[in-house]
Amino acid sequence: MGELIRLEGIVKSFDDNVVLNGIDLSVDENEFVTLLGPSGCGKTTTLRIIAGFEKPDEGRVYFDGKDITDMPANQRPVNTVFQNYALFPHMSVGENIAFSLRVKNKSEKEIRDRVKKALKLVNLKGFENRRIDQLSGGQQQRIAMARAIVNEPRVLLLDEPLGALDLKLRQEMEYELVRLKNELGITFIYITHDQEEALTMSDKVVVMNEGYIQQEGSPQEIYDEPVNAFVADFIGDSNILSGQMVDERVVRIDGVDYPCIDGTEEGFPPRRRVDVVIRPEDIDIVPYGKGLWNGTITSKLFIGVHYEMLVQSEDGKIEWLLQNYDQHDVGEKIGMYVDPENIQIMHKPKSEAESAIEIDL
Amino acid sequence: MKTNLIAKKPYITPFVIWIIAGTIIPLISIAYYGFTSKDGGFTFANIIAMFRPDHMQALGLSLLLAFVSTAICLIIAFPMAMILRESKFGKQGFLIFIIILPMWMNFLLRTMAWQVLLERQGVINAIITAVGLPRQELMNTPGAIVLGMVYDFLPFMILPIYNTVSKIDNSMIEAAYDLGASKKTAYTKVILPLSVPGIVSGITMVFIPALTTFVISNMLGGGKINLIGNIIEQEFTINSNWYLGSGLSLVMMVFIIISMLLLQKFDKTGGANLI
Repeated sequence: MGELIRLEGIVKSFDDNVVLNGIDLSVDENEFVTLLGPSGCGKTTTLRIIAGFEKPDEGRVYFDGKDITDMPANQRPVNTVFQNYALFPHMSVGENIAFSLRVKNKSEKEIRDRVKKALKLVNLKGFENRRIDQLSGGQQQRIAMARAIVNEPRVLLLDEPLGALDLKLRQEMEYELVRLKNELGITFIYITHDQEEALTMSDKVVVMNEGYIQQEGSPQEIYDEPVNAFVADFIGDSNILSGQMVDERVVRIDGVDYPCIDGTEEGFPPRRRVDVVIRPEDIDIVPYGKGLWNGTITSKLFIGVHYEMLVQSEDGKIEWLLQNYDQHDVGEKIGMYVDPENIQIMHKPKSEAESAIEIDL
Repeated sequence: MKTNLIAKKPYITPFVIWIIAGTIIPLISIAYYGFTSKDGGFTFANIIAMFRPDHMQALGLSLLLAFVSTAICLIIAFPMAMILRESKFGKQGFLIFIIILPMWMNFLLRTMAWQVLLERQGVINAIITAVGLPRQELMNTPGAIVLGMVYDFLPFMILPIYNTVSKIDNSMIEAAYDLGASKKTAYTKVILPLSVPGIVSGITMVFIPALTTFVISNMLGGGKINLIGNIIEQEFTINSNWYLGSGLSLVMMVFIIISMLLLQKFDKTGGANLI
């Protein structure tokens, strides 16, 4: 699997608003890469630069080793599935899919065969003569996919393609997308703000915020070892606490020292101020006084698979978020225990882009 | 039925009165006069009169000039609308303002201004003779009338087309490029078909007034060029023959309705609400 797309030092601003601050990104052949971030993080602009709809102010785009920065969109070997699908309303389903083949002056027979094959791939056999406005949202989504893959691009760009679908359909489509990618054997670059979609489908997740890449890695790496508060907070629920390294592999949180697995080698020498992230599902409930921390349950929600609880620490300074399969009552005093390997040490944010998103209530 | 509706929705009363007074009563009286002879009996003579050679000639010329003016308006308006669409937001408002600005001036004054420009002693001839070319007869020609029509009716072509093209989702055009289309293909296969509703209503709004105008042909044609509008007007004013004038009007009305129905055949994308 060689490198297929490389972005080097991409900078882009609209008017005075800097959207991308020097993006370096490498995408391998046959990889499923997801650009993940909140709206305004620059993920869509990055995709549009790869598609050729925007020109970067600085930096180069390479495709298969060739500089394609100045190549117009209609000559690039990539196709896009648009967020709103952008199907042509004045054409039938078949004509929509055939569009790129007609542009290339393929024979009628070849067009018919390939449209048929594309429709079969997206499980909409026999839909050639339907009108676009007769289709449901999920069907339109599949037609947009079929139209984008019929020309056998080497890279498929997907701009939040599941955003407009309801939850059930979205989960179904996640499986479909992975199946399609494997059947086609091409590279997918996928944009979403939904961390679950990103973790479910991707080989590589690229977390972006405010025009910077915050972290890239496999879904497991991103989830288990977030590099800063922003990533930790954006990928799933988390408890982010302020702490300080007090010794090799010992961190002090809220005045109490805890063992952890990070030290000087990992870039966290003693006396360094750090952020600590603990995932709510990593916190075990133990009898009062038997854990690392004690607290009182202040609220409890049943959310299907597990219970979600808020626990107030004894001095009232910290509010913990816990997820647990067992039921405990509001008001119950409990102890909390975390395995040292689940205490993830991170650098303090150096900028706003690396900080957790504040939600004003 | 109507009283029921008014009882249920009293606020529509003014509109019902307006439609009765402004549309239904005039239509009935035109129909009455159109089918009545001078001595008061029923007749088809006023209708059949349309086929008199002088009337047919005027109708033919009207059709030709209206067709040419509409085509010129369309050729100017479509690129204009696309330029407007692609210009930045602040600029867009200003450009539209510039386009509709002449519409704020009285229609007669605008047409009169062209008289001043096109006259034998007018501004354009002054420039032509100044550079040593012979004086041109510009006034009282079909060309002058077409010019007047294009000038007066162009905004009515630009605005509906702009209104439609401005609503075409940018991603639609990007999708065309993404799928490998050249600029030309993107225009002919995507942008133009999506603009059809605007083009149809633009054509309607230019072709009908151009077909029936008598003011522009009076002022820029100098009474020498008779369009069907002039003939009808003369029957009402000079000849005081309301019967013939109404009869010809009825034929024109049917004629326009038929051409609108034909036009709607092209408008498959749903803008079919012009009649």
